Amino acid sequence: MSIGSDRWVETAESRTEGPGGWWGRGKRRWQALSPLARLGILVAATALVPLLVSSDFLVRVGVNGMLLALLAVGLNVSVGWAGLLDLGFVAFYGFGAYTFALLSSDQLGLHLPTVLAVLIVILATGLLGLVLGLPSWRLSGDYLAIVTLFFSQIFLELTLNVDRLGIDLTGGPNGISGVDPFSFLGFELSSPTSYFYLLLVLVAVIVTILYLVDQSRTGRAWRALRDDPLAAEIMTVPIRRLKLMAFATGAAVAGLAGSVFASFQLGVYPLNFQIQFLIVIYAALILGGSGSLAGAVAGGIVVTLVLDLLRDPGQASAAFYGVIAVTLIAKVRPWRTLGAVVGATVALGLVVHAVVGAISPDAVAGEVEASGLFGSAIESWVVLPEDPTTIGNWAFCALVVGVVALTRVSARTRTILLVPLLYLAAFVWENRLVDEPSITRQLLLGVLLIVMMISRPHGLLGTPRVERV
Amino acid sequence: MAPLLELRGVSKSFGGLSVIQGLDLTVAEGEIVSLIGPNGAGKTTVFNLVTGVYEPDEGTIRLAGEDVVGLPPHRIATMGAARTFQSIRLFLNMSVRENVMVAGYGRTRTRPWQAVLRTRGARAEEAAERELAEELLSFFGTRLAGFRLEQPAYSLSYANRRRLEIARAMATRPRVLLLDEPAAGMNPHETHEITELTARLRDEAGFTVVVIEHDMHVVEGVSDRVVALDHGTVIAEGSFEHVATHPAVVEAYLGKGAAATK
Amino acid sequence: MDFFIQQLVNGLTLGSLYALLALGYSIVYGVLGLLNFAQGEVYMVGAFIGFGVLSGLGGPASLAVPVPLALFLMFVAAALGSGALSVAIERIAFRPLRDASRIAPLITALGVSVFLQNAVLLLLGPDIRNYDASSFIPFTSGIHVGPLNISLIRIIVIVATVAVMLVLTLWVGRSKLGREMRAVAYDREGAQMIGVDVDRTIMIAFFVGGVLAGIAGVMAGLVFSRVFQLMGFVAGLKAFTGAVIGGIGSIPGAMLGGLLVGLAESFTAAYISSTFQNVIVFAVLVVMMIVRPTGLFGRPTLGKV
Repeated sequence: MSIGSDRWVETAESRTEGPGGWWGRGKRRWQALSPLARLGILVAATALVPLLVSSDFLVRVGVNGMLLALLAVGLNVSVGWAGLLDLGFVAFYGFGAYTFALLSSDQLGLHLPTVLAVLIVILATGLLGLVLGLPSWRLSGDYLAIVTLFFSQIFLELTLNVDRLGIDLTGGPNGISGVDPFSFLGFELSSPTSYFYLLLVLVAVIVTILYLVDQSRTGRAWRALRDDPLAAEIMTVPIRRLKLMAFATGAAVAGLAGSVFASFQLGVYPLNFQIQFLIVIYAALILGGSGSLAGAVAGGIVVTLVLDLLRDPGQASAAFYGVIAVTLIAKVRPWRTLGAVVGATVALGLVVHAVVGAISPDAVAGEVEASGLFGSAIESWVVLPEDPTTIGNWAFCALVVGVVALTRVSARTRTILLVPLLYLAAFVWENRLVDEPSITRQLLLGVLLIVMMISRPHGLLGTPRVERV
Repeated sequence: MAPLLELRGVSKSFGGLSVIQGLDLTVAEGEIVSLIGPNGAGKTTVFNLVTGVYEPDEGTIRLAGEDVVGLPPHRIATMGAARTFQSIRLFLNMSVRENVMVAGYGRTRTRPWQAVLRTRGARAEEAAERELAEELLSFFGTRLAGFRLEQPAYSLSYANRRRLEIARAMATRPRVLLLDEPAAGMNPHETHEITELTARLRDEAGFTVVVIEHDMHVVEGVSDRVVALDHGTVIAEGSFEHVATHPAVVEAYLGKGAAATK
Repeated sequence: MDFFIQQLVNGLTLGSLYALLALGYSIVYGVLGLLNFAQGEVYMVGAFIGFGVLSGLGGPASLAVPVPLALFLMFVAAALGSGALSVAIERIAFRPLRDASRIAPLITALGVSVFLQNAVLLLLGPDIRNYDASSFIPFTSGIHVGPLNISLIRIIVIVATVAVMLVLTLWVGRSKLGREMRAVAYDREGAQMIGVDVDRTIMIAFFVGGVLAGIAGVMAGLVFSRVFQLMGFVAGLKAFTGAVIGGIGSIPGAMLGGLLVGLAESFTAAYISSTFQNVIVFAVLVVMMIVRPTGLFGRPTLGKV
């Protein structure tokens, strides 16, 4: 027998199979297309969205989604590809926005042409990324995370307070208003739809550029750096230089996004760039799939949709119940059990509602946000006290404890526990969470980050990773 | 002829513990040298010093006549020293092919902008690297070929991982290849293969090889010269027969009593 | 000169708070290699617990029990509550990620931090709680240094912190538990193999960190008379600064580092500019991390290659 022959490998072709059915076939057809074709199809499909959607509000949501997608893509270079935890990323976004504002408003009296301003912003932010990446030479993961976090705090404080030194550069807490919108060849972008298409083009271009870089030796070097920096360095990879490149690239993309944001909003304010928004960008990348360009884009769009939907209580409720329904369908099997759980929950609710209503009519006198048939159904199912705050809070605590308990008990107990917990969740939602949309958004983001890292760290579209032990 | 790799008077201690002291070692081009010694003798530390992971406290290290002390590891790697690791350190989430290709970073020159614009030079270099990777992997037969090329490295068996590490080291086109216990954990059949492979590396591919090994069959089968270390210094050097029966070596491995019975 | 001494005392008081928090960071990092971002929020919760106990006892103006007892109850409740919270966080959010990448627990910690901040906001509302400590801890009694009167509260804080540090150093240095913690810090698997209950050791580390944070939270409430939902974030960052400057993983280092940060902040605010105090403190950290990443007392860890 000759050395090195491996019959298993040699006969591999005849053994390959994949998931069947229309889902499997569709997936294979999709993957058989070239990346360019796939991108083209997605871009074309997205381009139809403003035409199909009538409300301006939704187009704005689309613009926000594209911006977040662009930011997630930029963050992906540092975090997903090079493995550098950059907690100051939002400062690059802010720096880009402010720089554009300075170049295109009355603040400094400059009104540079768009293309020139944007180019300057990209270069400047990239340079800033280079400078801020210098600590990465000596610092590993944890330390780098903290140093970058501090930089973003410094940036925020400076933009807020520099005017107190007598230099009216950043407009202090009021920011800079009256920023020029983008204009190309005399044609000014004024409507959300035009910004939507601009961003669509930008996302497509940036994704293409980064994809090509990822396929090249630079991309390989970044991924090697993430997997094992020491081994990479011993295998000729100049890791310091590559870390800097990753930082600078991510920063440049963030700067670009910042300039678009500044011109879309026609102004920049320090509160746009706080750590809350950094959490949003991370949530987008983690949910979509760190390390995957498609994941970053998808994550950006999904997170924006979820967060913006939460603004309108009616839509938020629909989303809330919808997500619960989808999770139940996905996780609770067989169908009999699912039916039993749902039935029991509904029954429990009706019983509790009737009992509580009989004892004290005040306790069910409240109203729901959701309207119509669905709303009335909820009203007669969930207990809605006139003054929900206190009991809502206790219910919230109970819900948190209950959800944690859910992860610890055996399967059978879990199914039983699910029933009161679902009712409790609806109770908490209708009585407390719906009334506090901004808090609920942040709560959801926090929970999302925790749950994703524990159960599916590679996100929706990423590939599972193996860590060197 | 000047030696390819030369260590003179090298010492290294870690927080008061002296691991290497006054070490002299030379490797001539085209040689296969085995480095043996009991655990803790400092063999892997020698590799770490040569590849720049550590800097020696004293002494000089020259690769092809050039001083490498103080240079970053990636520079030393491009100058011609490549290695494998005692505990395998592959890029687990990258494919087999990519593991080999990434080691060519120091030799290649495509800049990101060239990759984006897909210039002719960029595409040619990429294609050449892919071919080189397949060629190097074919050193191991069909094991790391075919569909395996695209499999992530974490899906490989232990023996295949060791082979991949060697292929990856070869991809840096080194002048000297440092193999750290390449046969560790292998069954006798695989060990025999490694022995043959090491000889082929020198004969067919022209590498100079330094091997750290515990299995004396491998050492005997492969070495032109054997260097024995203990407590950070060379205690014997020469042909296999000379070193294997040297009293200091026997004592180092088996203790004082054993040496006396020789 | 009086002004200087006043700032010195302020700095030491502030620094004591940071030192307690920094100790928590250091202990957890020492044992698990994890930067517990949620530590700041645990501190905040501790402060609220203290406030809650105080209100429950009738509020600062009309206490149902003698002052020392009230203080004692506040501290104990906050310590236990924060300790329990810290342990719960470890169990729920960090334990599943013991063997994951280095980045994963950091992101989870961010998530926990966000969740806690907003949960408190939801449950207790955004109002800043004021409790006028001066109404039940008399300001007039204290140490007189020249014309200056150093309030009792600040003295309590500084003394208590020093006591805590001494106890901790002795305990970690001498006791079996302390040895086990150090063993887990060096080599978790190895410690397991020689019979150390790793889960329990880590849980105790988190508990201690939580207790320290809770105590610091109550102290903060007493010193600044204010308890609010965002107090954890910036304090946490600064305490972390202290832990790193002192050398993360080192107990005396955390203490020293925390004190240095407190002093730096106090003097910067007084002599240079109070607007930019945060900027300057953070900038100092950045420089420090670049120049000497292992901090003043830290030991560079050597891994086997």
